[in-house]
Amino acid sequence: MITELENEILIEKKAETSNCISVKNVTISFKTNGKGTFTAVKDIDLDIKKGEIVSIIGHSGCGKSTLMNSISGMVKPTSGEVTVNGNKVTGPGPDRGIVFQNYSLLPWMTVYRNVYEAVDSVLKDKSAAEKKEIVEYNLKMVNLLQHKDKLPSQLSGGMKQRTAIARAFAINPSVLLLDEPFGALDALTKGSMHVELLKIWNLNKRQQTIVMVTHDIEEAIFLSDRVVVMNDGPEATIREIVNINIARPRNKKDIVHLPEYMKVHDKLLSLLVKNLSIDDVIFE
Amino acid sequence: MKSIFSLKTLYSIVYFVGSMVILLLIWSLVSAITKNEIPGPIATWSVFFEMLKDPFYDYGPNDKGIGIQLWSSIKRVMMGFGLGSLLAIPLGMLMGGSKFTMNLLNPLIQVLRPVSPLAWFPLGLLAFKASEGATIFIIAITSLWPTLINTAFGVSSIPDDHKNVGKAFGFSRWKYITKILIPFALPHIITGLRLAIGVAWMVIVAGEMLSGGVGIGFFVWDSWNGLSLEKILSAILIIGFVGLLLDKFFNGLQNYFAYENKK
Repeated sequence: MITELENEILIEKKAETSNCISVKNVTISFKTNGKGTFTAVKDIDLDIKKGEIVSIIGHSGCGKSTLMNSISGMVKPTSGEVTVNGNKVTGPGPDRGIVFQNYSLLPWMTVYRNVYEAVDSVLKDKSAAEKKEIVEYNLKMVNLLQHKDKLPSQLSGGMKQRTAIARAFAINPSVLLLDEPFGALDALTKGSMHVELLKIWNLNKRQQTIVMVTHDIEEAIFLSDRVVVMNDGPEATIREIVNINIARPRNKKDIVHLPEYMKVHDKLLSLLVKNLSIDDVIFE
Repeated sequence: MKSIFSLKTLYSIVYFVGSMVILLLIWSLVSAITKNEIPGPIATWSVFFEMLKDPFYDYGPNDKGIGIQLWSSIKRVMMGFGLGSLLAIPLGMLMGGSKFTMNLLNPLIQVLRPVSPLAWFPLGLLAFKASEGATIFIIAITSLWPTLINTAFGVSSIPDDHKNVGKAFGFSRWKYITKILIPFALPHIITGLRLAIGVAWMVIVAGEMLSGGVGIGFFVWDSWNGLSLEKILSAILIIGFVGLLLDKFFNGLQNYFAYENKK
């Protein structure tokens, strides 16, 4: 069933064939203490279209966060370049909202203040009333309005993450960067957060491009249009990009029975996991 | 919940009283050993009581009540401590915020910090041409170090997580300082201030012994000249208790601004 909104989105997506994010030939090395350099990722090429949701998946330490940080501007590529909406990335900017791995809320501010300060900083031209409205709208979207006067220390992990998501969405960025956003949450909370994220994305007419780092295969399939599988580092490269051809809106319960889901799940599993049963474990 | 709180308060009162009893016992013992050359608690009490009966009398420059002496000392300490802190906090932030200033100024601090307040006194006299200014000067210059060092430490230990928030959302320099740097460093700054007020209160006695005039330090010296050991012991007790109160005040501030404990 294609609703009017869906139709509109499809048309818009066709019109916007240009890339939103373009990672060109990026290599990122770090200086290590006296021991020379450590190359986290090497020769990465990746194009992401406007309105796409792309997951980057890989083992711990494979450089997926580093790659993400080169898009956010937190890390400068040693060679190559990243462009977002045609502009070269030279540092963090308000066109890219970031949700950090460990939420990164300021502990001395209430939920409301945490979101407000970001809005106040990015949307300088808006009046105080408008800013207040934006903050409250975004807190309502993540169901935190009634908790707006609490400090982060009084929140559960899921609530902290929702605050961080509200903060990232509130500045209305064209790109959202999520660094293992649901990694610290329990499975049940995680499941409902996935749906909430897609709901917000839908409310914004699927115009926002979302890049997410994860190590959870089911999460990647449920959320993404494409999954980027990384090789193990150092000098990590892209192993394969897997398309997820499952129509939206997706239903968490139903999609697992789709042949496409099973096919993709199998593929990702075999790309990422070497030992699938006890017979695969070889003792030497 | 309330009964637990009052029980805790009761315990701390009991411990405090116990501690004071030990003090009185040692004091009495020393007094007995010195054959009352050092007056005991009871002999001191009657003099102390006399002093407290009229703390604000003023019979000319060399004969003032203990209240006047104490108040002028506290005023001096606050002036010196305030000036020192006004210098130390911004300088500490500058040092904590940049490795360059830290490396540049750290040796200077290490050299000046151990200098005795008394060594600064002549320089103060020369600079201010008056003992009042000199006393405030030595309090300022000896009490600024703990604040400076703690502020620098606090600012330099801001976690990357907090800094990244500022970067990701494009905080202006002013917003970064007021919304991230100061809230994070505040508990450290207050720890520095707490140590600094302790130093300032110690320095005041030495300073006033040199400068003369009015003040609790001068009072101790004047009592020595008048050979009233009871007065000296009373003054020591007063100095101790005022120091305790100042420390408690900053301890309260510390708890108030410790955001981790806020519930």
